[in-house]
Amino acid sequence: MASANTSELSTPAPRRQASLLSRFWAWEGSGVLVALVALTAALTLATDNFLSAYNVSVVLRQAAFVGLVALGQTLVLLVGGIDLSVGAAAGLSSIVGAIALTQWGIHPYLIIPFTMFFGFALGALNGVFVAGLRLNPFIVTLATWEIFAGLTLVITKGYPIRPLGDQFGIFGKGEIWGIPVPVIIFFASAIFLIWMLRQTRFGRNIFAVGGNRDAAILAGIRVRLVEFTAFGMAGMFAALAGILFASRMDAGQPSVGEGWLMGAITAAILGGTSLRGGQGSIVGTVLGALLLAVLGNGTVLLNVSGFWQRVIVGGVVLVAVLVDLLRRKD
Amino acid sequence: MNTPAPVFEARRVSKSFGPVSALKDVSITLFPGEVHSIIGENGAGKSTLMNIICGRFQPTEGQLFVDGKEVHFHLPKDAQAHGIAIAPQEISLVPHLSVAENIMLGAHCGPALSIDWRKTRAEATRHLHEVDNSIDPAARVSSLSKAQQQLVQIARAAATEARVLIFDEPTATLTYREEETLMSYIEALAREGRSAFYISHRLDEVRRLSHRITVLRDGVHVGELAPEEASRERMVTMMAGRPPKAGAQPLRDLPSTDTVLKVEGLTRAHEFRDLSFSLRKGEILGVSGLVGSGRTEMAKCIFGATRADAGRIELNGKPVSFRGPLEAIRAGVIYLPEERKQEGIFPLLSIAENTGLPTLDRFTGLLHLRNRDMMAEVEKLAGQMKAKFNSLRDPITSLSGGNQQKFIIARWLMRDAHVLIMDEPTRGIDVNAKFEIQSVLRKLTEERGLSIIVISSEMEELLDVADRIMVMHEGKVKGAIDRREASQEGLLQMAMS
Ligand SMILES: Nc1ncnc2c1ncn2[C@@H]1O[C@H](COP(=O)(O)OP(=O)(O)OP(=O)(O)O)[C@@H](O)[C@H]1O
Ligand SMILES: [Mg+2]
Repeated sequence: MASANTSELSTPAPRRQASLLSRFWAWEGSGVLVALVALTAALTLATDNFLSAYNVSVVLRQAAFVGLVALGQTLVLLVGGIDLSVGAAAGLSSIVGAIALTQWGIHPYLIIPFTMFFGFALGALNGVFVAGLRLNPFIVTLATWEIFAGLTLVITKGYPIRPLGDQFGIFGKGEIWGIPVPVIIFFASAIFLIWMLRQTRFGRNIFAVGGNRDAAILAGIRVRLVEFTAFGMAGMFAALAGILFASRMDAGQPSVGEGWLMGAITAAILGGTSLRGGQGSIVGTVLGALLLAVLGNGTVLLNVSGFWQRVIVGGVVLVAVLVDLLRRKD
Repeated sequence: MNTPAPVFEARRVSKSFGPVSALKDVSITLFPGEVHSIIGENGAGKSTLMNIICGRFQPTEGQLFVDGKEVHFHLPKDAQAHGIAIAPQEISLVPHLSVAENIMLGAHCGPALSIDWRKTRAEATRHLHEVDNSIDPAARVSSLSKAQQQLVQIARAAATEARVLIFDEPTATLTYREEETLMSYIEALAREGRSAFYISHRLDEVRRLSHRITVLRDGVHVGELAPEEASRERMVTMMAGRPPKAGAQPLRDLPSTDTVLKVEGLTRAHEFRDLSFSLRKGEILGVSGLVGSGRTEMAKCIFGATRADAGRIELNGKPVSFRGPLEAIRAGVIYLPEERKQEGIFPLLSIAENTGLPTLDRFTGLLHLRNRDMMAEVEKLAGQMKAKFNSLRDPITSLSGGNQQKFIIARWLMRDAHVLIMDEPTRGIDVNAKFEIQSVLRKLTEERGLSIIVISSEMEELLDVADRIMVMHEGKVKGAIDRREASQEGLLQMAMS
């Protein structure tokens, strides 16, 4: 009785405000955005140089590499899969890209597309097993992770491939209007994916396949093609991150992608992407990658030992999951 | 003679799942503008046949023809390319996407690359409004009731502009009013020259809608009826292969006057208000009402799944307030949810496990589970309800929709309880099995003194089985009357008063 009365008495204005707030809250990325803003504010107050141009560009660059990998991972998570091989695929692709540059004489400007294509092929291999043969993505990509990492060592015997030359270096080291090129590529990729997921049939089909595979099949969607392509794109974005990093370091390094897998999955999950598929957003993933980079940077600025950083990141993920739980109860 | 050519034909189709043969040598045709109903008991093979026609299953043997040309469907996509679409028996939608997008799934409007959202939404809304105009096209599907989801699914099939539409038990979750809209929608569709296969266990609907009725029994085509010759008796006899048993349970006087459950002033904001009623020992209380009358919400609240804002519940004279379903079950109050697929079954487990799981404590030996005893009891109940299955060790998902429902009922009958609340217990169950289940319920009240609340949208069902019928409307109890004095018109009037 009481609640019926209050809803009759309330004027429309506060109700609209409430619905805006609840709509923000209902959006998967809301938690990570709040966390990012809070952390940024705290670090700005606690340190003098957090918002300096130099430091911001450091943070953004840090976010860009893991973020690119996370973008691809998000697509795979959205179709209801998972790709554990992205880090190793980044490593193998960057090595092959470096060899193509230094030994096969491919033009430096063509190396990026070439490497991305190679990365797509690596991801597509996962796609064949997962989409084509309906094997469990966790197991398939655990195996290909080993294979890609092993092949990298077979090819390089553990030594970096260098130098890659100045002309190629601009992709990793260059800046446009003071913004590092990898950061520009990261944001451009994110914008492309936001558009793709919102405005193309393929993009919408990704949500349908991940949300209810049977319903998607019934709707006449080519489910396997969608899954296959998502895995291919995950490999492609991992390769892009790998080769940009090689360009920055002026060396194809066998170990390049080792730490990226956890970062990529963490960024996506922080951004509200569901491990069960069908739910998530690119904006959330970008924010997740930024949050991780800010966290890392903050621990450095505050002189916290690097070992603690992992404890903190783990804690943040747990908090994010809890917040998500509360959000969904509403 | 100029009979038009059939738009669709299935010739001598068979389908087996391993050793189980679900369809044997079935042939069927569909003419332009025709509504062709398929009837049969649970597990007769109706859904299997429809799944073959829409490309979800491949037939083991036989041929399909569209416009006289042979076709092979590997996926639903292929069937859609030939203008065949299905609204399947189980809800099959993407829960996180909007109603509009679900309707246009895989068929977004717009130029080659980019989607034109405004046009897509308008198109979806147009199709939705043909079936129902109370659902918000922008709402997420997961926020809708089962009945609404069913309507979205029907709009989805219709939106494909298919020439052949398949409705597999579309009205199972619907109540009177929505059913009426759907009937006229299908009639309009047929007048436009589109055709439909229609499946339902509600025989009045079938008779009203169909131009032709095909009867399946145990996967075999046993005959075809024109609607004029399809009396209820005739249909049930053909489906079962023997004459139907009597319909209603006999009227009776309850042996005991003890009150088991007493609800007073139960209130929960936006769901129901000031509910008061009592349930006697050994009584079957029917609860009638339209969608949105708060029946399910009330059941969930008594069961402890939600908390009441006000009011009290007494069980055997003692006030109770369950903090969760577990406490309710321990106290002997059991609730059987209306949505079996989402809340009721464990898809990966066997039939026996699905049935015995909540009662495992009864079959725990010193060091092991007494599996054989459990199997024996499950088997006995399955027999009583005429469930059709191959082996109790098969996964429950291999059962037909109606047979899954029977085992979920059996699950709760294996447990000792004081009060059993059943939400739409015989939804999707065939006429004869419905009678068997009602007899089992009746026997339980007599032998074990169990008290049962049956929530049902089918008034005939309540008039068959309940001792007393309570009517709810928009969250309020409108009244309760003895079955002796109740009639369909009387109940409807009571709801509207
Ligand atoms: N995937 C499967 N695996 C094994 N057996 C199956 C499978 N699907 C259906 N069956 C069997 O095929 C038979 C026919 O099932 P079907 O679903 O076509 O029945 P139905 O006529 O639609 O029944 P209902 O009225 O209960 O929906 C049943 O005996 C069922 O057990
Ligand atoms: Mg069926």
